[in-house]
Amino acid sequence: MNKEAPLSIAERDFILNALREDVRLDGREADQFRPLNVSFGEEYGHVKIQLGKTSLIVRISSEVTKPHDDRPFDGIFTIALELTAMGSPAWENGRQGDLESYVSNVLDRVIRHSNALDTESLCVLKGVSCWSIRADVHITDYDGNLIDAACIGIMAGLQHFRRPDAVVKDGQVIVYGVDERVPVALNITHKPLSITFHTFDEGKRVILDATRKEEQASEADVLIGLNNAGDVCYISKFSGFPVDAMVFVNKSSVALEKVKEINNIIDKALQADLTKRAKTALVEESRAANDR
Amino acid sequence: MVSPLILLPGDEIPSEYLPSTNSAPLRLGAGLRLLSQPSSNPSTPPSHVISATQSALLSTDTKRNAVSLLSTPNRRYIPTPGDLVIAQIHHSSPDYFHCMVTPQAPQAMLGQLSFEGATKKTRPMLKQGDLVYARVLSIGLGAGAEVELTCVNPATGRAEPGGLGPLTGGMVFDVSTGLAARLIKASSSSAEQQDGVAGLVVLDELGKKLEKAGGFEIAVGRNGKVWVDCANGGDSAIKATVAIGRCLSTIDEHELSPTDQRKLVTRILREMKIES
Repeated sequence: MNKEAPLSIAERDFILNALREDVRLDGREADQFRPLNVSFGEEYGHVKIQLGKTSLIVRISSEVTKPHDDRPFDGIFTIALELTAMGSPAWENGRQGDLESYVSNVLDRVIRHSNALDTESLCVLKGVSCWSIRADVHITDYDGNLIDAACIGIMAGLQHFRRPDAVVKDGQVIVYGVDERVPVALNITHKPLSITFHTFDEGKRVILDATRKEEQASEADVLIGLNNAGDVCYISKFSGFPVDAMVFVNKSSVALEKVKEINNIIDKALQADLTKRAKTALVEESRAANDR
Repeated sequence: MVSPLILLPGDEIPSEYLPSTNSAPLRLGAGLRLLSQPSSNPSTPPSHVISATQSALLSTDTKRNAVSLLSTPNRRYIPTPGDLVIAQIHHSSPDYFHCMVTPQAPQAMLGQLSFEGATKKTRPMLKQGDLVYARVLSIGLGAGAEVELTCVNPATGRAEPGGLGPLTGGMVFDVSTGLAARLIKASSSSAEQQDGVAGLVVLDELGKKLEKAGGFEIAVGRNGKVWVDCANGGDSAIKATVAIGRCLSTIDEHELSPTDQRKLVTRILREMKIES
């Protein structure tokens, strides 16, 4: 039974009729995100995202490997997303569904292919060793809009992550432990985020950040990926009902506004976490001095 | 009134907590099970104990001579005979409608003729995605057993209590099974306790406030579904329905006192711009 339960006719009709009156089930406006909470764990690159009832955990990790033969100057960056039964009873462990490949594909396009993480900066020694950065996305609860939430999580994680320092000495790569040298932040070129819209009523109603029920009742989805500067790095409309071209134009400006808003939230959370870390580090330092 | 009793799975219920009237048979609610305990002496008959199957607060109803557990807001629903549920038709076969009581669980069977006044010619034609308000008739025994639903009381042939049968229009909201149980309890014991049963006054309050807007119909399923319809609401029908859904989901997420619940209702109705 690896299937999302279909909506009943009553729910489908009601969601559509309500949207015709500009009413959403949780009382939001059409262009309003659910409350977003970004928090960080103890380690660098451990992010928890809570978007309404959708919640997920992103872990960024790094290791030194050999670069790909055809790209000796580039490091490696992979995004691993798996939908397990932990996130929703409709998902089965170890079996890839349509949603999983779709979400992975979009995340790859928005974040990896737009070069948000500068992979050239991950090179340690040409053709011999480089950093491999891996982002693992674990969904812990699912109530729609997985793509946006995962995007926010990965971008926040990349900005939060610190990799160990590595130097080359006489052709030897030396990796210093986190306690030996101050770890290095990753080189982020820009901060793209995806914004998902869902259309209803033959493309006349367009809403942002749909819940699971709204997603199921919708006719089509429109995805726009862009960064703070308004550079659109991804746009898609895969299937479903046709959407007027003007929707893309109009909603791009809405999306830009939202991306700025969300990046602000991420920045604030990062800042708060950094000051907290600085404080605890100071305390530790003074304690160490006392011990001596 | 004895002090509230908190039970853990496997705990026995002390006899002083059971309703003392012996004339009517004792009714066991969800989460309680009657177990027979073989006595050490083979000549005496085995004694019976009532034990809890989940951790919860014990609640007794002396009027109906019933005991049940007030379960915590968990999500999983396990069918128990006699429960009222809202099921969704998945497909139909010559004799049965196959219904979803909980998604991702084996389907339950609802007889084509188990509706009030249904004969071969007058039975309701339900299609995929339609909703029915039904009662769990039996849950079968052992693995792979089928849950059977019914929309009539098999003894009388009536839809008892009123309202069993297909649900048309309206909207279904998902709540926790715990809240669903509390809602059912609050509606069954009318106003004998002040401030509602288990501190739940939201439906009374909504009923008072929405009277002018045409009132509403509600059906609560133990499987964590609440069906709401404001058929007489006119223009504000959809808004009122959404408002009820929002009130219920907020109460489900936060533990609210009766005063806070009243405040919540007023606030949400104002937000949704419904006159009260």
